[in-house]
Amino acid sequence: MSKSSIGIVRFPGSNCDRDVFSFVEAKNMTPQFLWHLDQFDVNSYQALILPGGFSYGDYLRSGALSARSPVMKSVREFANRGGPVLGICNGFQVLTEAGLLPGALVKNEGLRFVDDWVELEIQQRNPFWCKAPAKPQLRLPIAHGDGRYYAPADEVKKIQDQGQIWLKYRHYNPNGSLLNIAGVTNQKKNVAGLMPHPERAIFDWMGGTDGWSFL
Amino acid sequence: MMTNTEHVQKLKHYRISADEYELIKKLLGREPKPIEWPLFSALWSEHCSYKSTRVHLKKFAQTLNASVLNATGENAGVVDLGHDERIVFKMESHNHPSFIEPYQGAATGVGGILRDIFTMGAKPIALADYLCFGSVSAPRMGFLVDGVVRGIAGYGNSVGVPTVTGQTNFDSSYDKNILVNAMAVGLLRPGEKVALSAAKGPGNLVVYVGAKTGKDGVHGAAMASEAFDENSEAKKPNVQIGDPYFEKLLIESCLEVLQQDLVVSIQDMGAAGLTSSSFEMASKGEVGMRINLDSVPVRDSSIQPEEILLSESQERMLLICEPPKLPALKKLYEKWGLDAVVIGEVLAERKVELWWRGDLLTSIDPHLLVENAPMYERKFNAWSAKNKMAKLSDLKFSAPLKTESLALPQHTSRQSIYRQYDQRVGLNTVRGAEHDVAVLRLPDSGRALGISVGCRTEIMRMDARIGALDAVFYPALQMACKGIKTIALTDCLNFGNPEKIEIMSEFVASVEAIKEASLALEAPVISGNVSCYNETMGENIVSTPAMGLVGLGPDAGAQKFLGLIPMDHFQSAGNPVYLVSCAKVWVGAPANGARGFFGDEDLPMWKKFAEDLTRLIRGGSVVSSQMQSLGGLGTALVKMSLGEQGYESSCLIPETEVWGDILYQAILEVRHTEVAQFESLAKGLAVKKIGEVKTGVLKLNDGTNLNWSEARKFYQQGLRGTIENLA
Repeated sequence: MSKSSIGIVRFPGSNCDRDVFSFVEAKNMTPQFLWHLDQFDVNSYQALILPGGFSYGDYLRSGALSARSPVMKSVREFANRGGPVLGICNGFQVLTEAGLLPGALVKNEGLRFVDDWVELEIQQRNPFWCKAPAKPQLRLPIAHGDGRYYAPADEVKKIQDQGQIWLKYRHYNPNGSLLNIAGVTNQKKNVAGLMPHPERAIFDWMGGTDGWSFL
Repeated sequence: MMTNTEHVQKLKHYRISADEYELIKKLLGREPKPIEWPLFSALWSEHCSYKSTRVHLKKFAQTLNASVLNATGENAGVVDLGHDERIVFKMESHNHPSFIEPYQGAATGVGGILRDIFTMGAKPIALADYLCFGSVSAPRMGFLVDGVVRGIAGYGNSVGVPTVTGQTNFDSSYDKNILVNAMAVGLLRPGEKVALSAAKGPGNLVVYVGAKTGKDGVHGAAMASEAFDENSEAKKPNVQIGDPYFEKLLIESCLEVLQQDLVVSIQDMGAAGLTSSSFEMASKGEVGMRINLDSVPVRDSSIQPEEILLSESQERMLLICEPPKLPALKKLYEKWGLDAVVIGEVLAERKVELWWRGDLLTSIDPHLLVENAPMYERKFNAWSAKNKMAKLSDLKFSAPLKTESLALPQHTSRQSIYRQYDQRVGLNTVRGAEHDVAVLRLPDSGRALGISVGCRTEIMRMDARIGALDAVFYPALQMACKGIKTIALTDCLNFGNPEKIEIMSEFVASVEAIKEASLALEAPVISGNVSCYNETMGENIVSTPAMGLVGLGPDAGAQKFLGLIPMDHFQSAGNPVYLVSCAKVWVGAPANGARGFFGDEDLPMWKKFAEDLTRLIRGGSVVSSQMQSLGGLGTALVKMSLGEQGYESSCLIPETEVWGDILYQAILEVRHTEVAQFESLAKGLAVKKIGEVKTGVLKLNDGTNLNWSEARKFYQQGLRGTIENLA
């Protein structure tokens, strides 16, 4: 296996795993599924993606059980060595539950699942993900029930000060997230998570192509 | 010996009529054994046996053509799209459970229809729903709307199948009996094999996979075959509870098992659970089956054989597996965290043996339960149009629309419903639920696949024949308006009590109309479902034959076509707006207040209209389009103006023609630089330029002048304005 593979972590209940797989293929990169019960060789991957879905049926809390599954030991090791990790939607929830990203994602304001297109503004350029967007404003689809970003005041101050707020909703906040946050990173910026789905906006026929620059 | 009263009680408990009991005795040549009572009760129920309707449903077989593969005996026909892409789809009702417990009722409706699809080896790629609620002020209605929508969302979103389109009607006829119909579409990609359900090969193993069996849903099939009374609330324990997480694991694992060729046949455990799946698989395969009920995984050790047989616990499948393949099968399911348990084997002789704790409870020919259910020729009258008027002037049309009417449930935006559905998971969605017609992109050929549902309560109430024709033609024309040709149909026939002659007459008229529409469009009926007894305390719903349609975009230039599909709203100021007509039937209000109509249906003409529209759209110069909905041309123009652009009329049209309901007319906005090209394509058609797209105004062709921004405001208020639970 060459180091050029992008590992896509599959939990039972992941449902955007194949979508992310197609996205990686469309970018002429090599996707490789990683199973939730297996640990893997961290030297074999160039980057990791945790896709969206309802891993472990969202039992307990979304992302809570997945964050404690065997594969996450390797994900943590990979992240700690500085490897790029991206969590999309449920993957973002898993990364916060695993403590790899700050804060938490709680039930949407209004307590209903929301599917829509949203406008986003990039707050901080990320050297690993969405490196070279055409413009700092993006339009991407969302689809989630637990997407309201929350963190205690001291932590919010910390992530603000350290430039960890990656993406914010513009004009309209679909879930009531704190400071309109749609995506954050860790301090080193190699671990990133966002609620919108870049893989759902990569071809014109999908209604937009702003997701293309994420890989 | 049973006393006569006890016997009558028992018949009532199992919902078996005295005549049916005599027939059972005759078929068996003896009295039924205790365990056979629930078997007959379930498999001879209206829900499982279609005993009141089968005589008529047989007519749909005439619509099948060469594009339908594998149509007999399975859950649905398989439609060949060419390029080795095939689709399977079906719509099913979950009306009764949803009225009792809306969240779980709707959720398990989605789960059940998905299993019907993947049990055939097809990966579910889309869901659609057809919902009829009562008037928003009826008791519990807000709770029902909210619960049903959350139930569909909760299940569909979790399993990762996008809900891409739907229809929601509000009508007082559903105050005490809502309709929840869910449709699923599955895709077989090139090289993938259709799975069958007939059991085969004596000595092969019967394997149970999925959730454990509990006491939920026992007698569900029988419940669905009965009218509601004031005690319906007490039937809550009959409603099944679903777990979409389990379903997701089942979808993934079963499709993997099928692709690896590890099973001979497979069937989901739907209505009447293990009973229907085992008896139907044996009956179809002309074989027998030994089932050890002790081996069935159960949730509760106190469960009795009768409950195991009738449980409608969700997310369970029954498979037939060759013994050498069992280890590989078990290993694959184990990977997905599911148990595969051998509960019996296939027998050569056509007998189903049910064993419990060492006793043979029964050994019975499955044909007796599956094939020999009684077929009733319920009384009906030949159809005669009741509300047909002699002259057009006998009809009165709606008054001009007021801006505030756009906040009424029948007109207003459904955004608060469809926003709760994940419409894009799977990366096939081109047009989601905010559009009139859903469009998916087939991943291998890149062609457009359209999905649309239909049936307009108001037209059904006026005339069952016109209403059922319209239930097919209106969505077919909506697809034509987007350049998509309808290729196949499914139906979900929601009716009242079939023992009442007026209901049965409407049923027969509807089936005949759907058949004729299907033949006219050359779009076969590949699957279907009947829900009878939608009756509460003697009140029947308006007959509602809901239709699900699937269509295809062009083969040549498939990729380019995805970018040409017209939008629903006006796009650019200055573009001319055309009205294309095929006016044959006028719908309005005669003096007595009910709806009436004038004119005759003309199926060949409607079919030609669909072809003409498809051709015009594929020409590429139409940028937005809609079929005229109820409320006349005026309402349709207003609805097209609710996006970013408004409309200004360029010619005066009489008020009756602006506000009259006409079957059928379409409105097309043409790119102003391509008018000549459009007009040359439209030569010979009844096409007329009626106005132009204009920013911020709404001036209709009878002189009505509405405030554009106010109209949008009322429309966008949506159902939140009337149903407080909707966020």
